[in-house]
Amino acid sequence: MRAEFFATLRSPLLWLVFAVAALGPFEMSSYYLHVATLALIYVALCSAWNIVGGIGGQISLGHSLFVGAGSLLASALLLKLGINMWAGMLIAAVLSAALGAVIAWIDFRFRLGHLSFALITLAFAEMAEIVAIGWDFVGGASGLLLPRDTGDFLAFQFGGGNGSYWAALTVAALCVLANLAILNAPLGYSLRCIRDNEDAAQAIGVGLLRTKMLAMVISAMLTSIVGTVYARYLAFVDPYQLVSPLITIEIVLFATVGGLGSAFGPALGAIVLLPLGEILRGKLGGVLPGLHAFVYGLIVIATIMLSPRGLLPLFGSWFDRKAVRRSPERA
Amino acid sequence: MDELLQALVEGILIGSTYGLIALGMGLVYGVSGIVNFSHGDFILLGMYMCLGLYSALTLDPYVSLIITLPAMTVVGALVYRFVIRPIASHHLLMVVQLTLGITLVIQSALLMVFGGQGQRTPSIVEAKLFVVGDVVMRGPQVIACLISFALAGALFVILRSTDVGRSIRAVHQNARAAALMGIDVGRVQTLAFAIGIGILAVAAALLAPGASIQPSDGLRYTVITLLVIVLGGMTNFVGIMLGGLVIGCSEALGTVYLSETLGSLLPYAIFVLIMLFRPRGLTWGAS
Amino acid sequence: MLEVRDLTAGYGGVPVLRGVSLHIAKGEIVGLLGANNAGKTTLINALSGIVAPMSGRISLEGEDVTRLSAKARVRLGIIQVPEGRLVFPEMSVRENLLLGGINAAARGRRTTEMERVLDLFPRLRERFSQLAGTLSGGEQQMLAIGRGLMAGAKLLMLDEPSLGLSPRLVQHIFEIIERLNAAGLTILLVEQNLQLTLRYAGRCYVLERGQIVVEGAADAVRSDPRTRSAYLGL
Repeated sequence: MRAEFFATLRSPLLWLVFAVAALGPFEMSSYYLHVATLALIYVALCSAWNIVGGIGGQISLGHSLFVGAGSLLASALLLKLGINMWAGMLIAAVLSAALGAVIAWIDFRFRLGHLSFALITLAFAEMAEIVAIGWDFVGGASGLLLPRDTGDFLAFQFGGGNGSYWAALTVAALCVLANLAILNAPLGYSLRCIRDNEDAAQAIGVGLLRTKMLAMVISAMLTSIVGTVYARYLAFVDPYQLVSPLITIEIVLFATVGGLGSAFGPALGAIVLLPLGEILRGKLGGVLPGLHAFVYGLIVIATIMLSPRGLLPLFGSWFDRKAVRRSPERA
Repeated sequence: MDELLQALVEGILIGSTYGLIALGMGLVYGVSGIVNFSHGDFILLGMYMCLGLYSALTLDPYVSLIITLPAMTVVGALVYRFVIRPIASHHLLMVVQLTLGITLVIQSALLMVFGGQGQRTPSIVEAKLFVVGDVVMRGPQVIACLISFALAGALFVILRSTDVGRSIRAVHQNARAAALMGIDVGRVQTLAFAIGIGILAVAAALLAPGASIQPSDGLRYTVITLLVIVLGGMTNFVGIMLGGLVIGCSEALGTVYLSETLGSLLPYAIFVLIMLFRPRGLTWGAS
Repeated sequence: MLEVRDLTAGYGGVPVLRGVSLHIAKGEIVGLLGANNAGKTTLINALSGIVAPMSGRISLEGEDVTRLSAKARVRLGIIQVPEGRLVFPEMSVRENLLLGGINAAARGRRTTEMERVLDLFPRLRERFSQLAGTLSGGEQQMLAIGRGLMAGAKLLMLDEPSLGLSPRLVQHIFEIIERLNAAGLTILLVEQNLQLTLRYAGRCYVLERGQIVVEGAADAVRSDPRTRSAYLGL
């Protein structure tokens, strides 16, 4: 229970990894720093998604909704209404939480199966993209351009480079910690019960609505916050990128390939796959359009075929032993 | 009134092809429980094959079928046998991710070969119009509709009354019992996938004439297909064709009556509503 | 006819059966008894080729079939009528029977074979075009047996045919099994129901935790104290 959470927190290895990650920027060229920052943002996104999709087994394809709220809405509030982006981040997070609660309620109220849930959330995401593209307040099809990042922390600016990297590291750590905490808390047990057998979970007294809502709300808020950080880092907020179901597909891909349901699996997937994609783009993008994505696709297929239970089990269990054992992969 | 009629006719014309496309996915889902997220990209693969054959040999898309149909069917069989089947027993999501990997490969291969700009394949029927009363129908769409219904009917008959069809249904209804009858379940699954992709070769030829295509269009078709089969109750033949018509008509009605944004929202909104109030699909209770 | 030697089999590398040996002569009814989870279903699934053996040998009429696929074994006439019948619910009685005879060895004789099955089970003739899912439990059991016969069974392996049926129906089903046997069909009867099996089977094996603990003629098995303990788990 809690004890195991704190035991994992006290693990020297975890701190070593964190310290190396925190000191990393001093050793990196700006290109690799950029790749590392993106990777950390995706670590955060994948981990936030994992709370619902991995631990809870409710395959949400609608998380672009929350990324979009966090990025587009917070930016629009700043640009159109002059609301400080910290406040914008919170407003977007609260709105995302409400949206998440509604989705969880619909899931509960209409007893959606896994596939129906996935597709209804996908339909919501498609609708959100269409709305975002047609809505001038959030920039419409042309998107929004945030003011230059001067490093004014109070204005949600981290100064680019190392500062943005640390901001990304902070949200990544936050989301991974949230996973660890949930896995070792009653919520985690309830979620895994629901994932494995909804009826049985209900029979032993797991509150379906409460559990699903709580998980979705936490996941949605975290995703929205990461979305705001992502928008600030990109500076140009493009609805075709941030509100598109494609971003959810990426998140789910990384999380699944890394290892669903464990605390570190989704993070691992993001750390491996995102830089791989970026570096392939860097090396092959200029050679022939499409080549890097082609190679990337082949690597994804090969990875899944070689390690169909996710990367985490492949990496040996000593790092994540507790988390893996507590959430056995589903066959 | 005329507008409404025109929209409905257009919706039925395009919806029948959506239904056909979704039948392919339903077939695969029925025997192997796999939701293929690269379904739409296989359609694009078929359409680009038509384009390639037109540029190389000036073949009309319909004539190209002589080549694309067997080629796509074989590709489907190989992809299932050597890529999907080895991991088919793993987590549903892992299989979905695998098909997304296939999406990336197809999409970027098309980008490499054909480039990213929109391109179109001409056909002799492209400019033909059929006028009935006040309703105007485009030639390729009329042909697409007729062939879609004919092919769906043929598939229905094959599934009902041949040994191959019965094997497929047996695997769908109870794979273990099917194995005990001496049916090679793996082979039936491979066959179903090959047929599913073969259907897409036909659908591609039906959609190709005059349509502007880009390598990234696949996801749109995949999403439409998913909406249609879920509406149809996943494996119900009639339901899936009906689902295709519903999505086709809501698309057409949305374009005519609503602003661009609201119009494109309509199919999704209708999907969500139907899913919430008829969670097992349109024909639930009828079968 | 069928000879099993030292068979070890199970799931995911964990053996359920450990060193099982048995033999069935042509024309016999052999009973396979055991409590729940004794490994009975695993055994006939191994015989059907659905569970791969880890070691040991299965031979049919002197020929080694240990490595043959499920499909090849059906063609040789090793047919299983599974527990819970597993008829194809959304197909008619006719289609279920046709599927029974879908293997290459039986396909040519389907029309004549179907007549024979319908004569044996007149009830199935009445329900001929009804969906199998709408049949009663007893009718489904008849259909499952009929489907097995359609496959051209030489050895018919029935898994729990009495499951969930009324005593009168059980009686009827077992009489038909006896009749089939009298006509020359070899039968392996896998049952939890001890008394019933001992009444119809000539010889029996008792399986306990994956091993054969008692074997012999029905009377000997009946009086063997180990039979009782295998059932009560003592």
